[in-house]
Amino acid sequence: MAEPGIIQIEETKTKEELDVPWNVVVYNDPINLMSYVTMVFQRVFGYPREKAEKLMLEVHHKGRSLVWSGGCEQAEHYVHQLQSYQLLAQMEKSSA
Amino acid sequence: MINLRVRPVDAKHIRISGIEPFLANCLQGLGEVLEQRDSPKARERLFPNPTTADDKANAEWQRLITPEMRHLFVSAGETVARDLTALQPEKPETGCLQVTFPAEHVNAWMSALNQARLILGELFSVTEKDMNATDLDVHSEKTLAVVRIHLLGYLLQLFVELESGESEERADE
Repeated sequence: MAEPGIIQIEETKTKEELDVPWNVVVYNDPINLMSYVTMVFQRVFGYPREKAEKLMLEVHHKGRSLVWSGGCEQAEHYVHQLQSYQLLAQMEKSSA
Repeated sequence: MINLRVRPVDAKHIRISGIEPFLANCLQGLGEVLEQRDSPKARERLFPNPTTADDKANAEWQRLITPEMRHLFVSAGETVARDLTALQPEKPETGCLQVTFPAEHVNAWMSALNQARLILGELFSVTEKDMNATDLDVHSEKTLAVVRIHLLGYLLQLFVELESGESEERADE
């Protein structure tokens, strides 16, 4: 409750703060070629080959890789793109 | 498969050459495999939900995005089917076949080849272990599916190399 004579200013949040980060995650599957997955990461995110290969290897060895983090709309766009290339991609709210 | 190549003929055309009869047979059977994309297992793999937990978002996605994606996949298969009508014996005669198609169809080829591999994988429940197996039971339908997945994968790999600029050779006219 506000005390008399004290003006309370409500805490406001920026749009970025309201927009909880979303993670784009790619899952391993037994069929997709490693080289194909690397190419898709390069095409969709514009990642250099080294980074794309590193993420691809993480998918291959760990079963999944967080390939991008950011706003909800952009995450949706990337999941759409990755699924268009037939990669197993989903988005999840970041717990961080 | 040693002679299989995917190379530009000129700035506007790509040629696959050295297609051995078994691969030609796989390619001619692509349409039949792709028609299975709406079977429950294949559908689940080709058109997955965008989230693990948000049922509302998943339902919206399946309503709005999946039909568009399905159209894209069907269209890629149709493009490749049209291109394959030009499949012909190599000249001079080598026992292999070749096909030449517009360079702008490369993405459709990669999509159709990968779709077919994934669909076969789902229909025959192919696992990582199956993909790496060396003691193959030649009488099993699953083995045949795995062989087809590998063959189509070999061709897809050549397309990836072409796109990565690793295959800069030009096909002789």
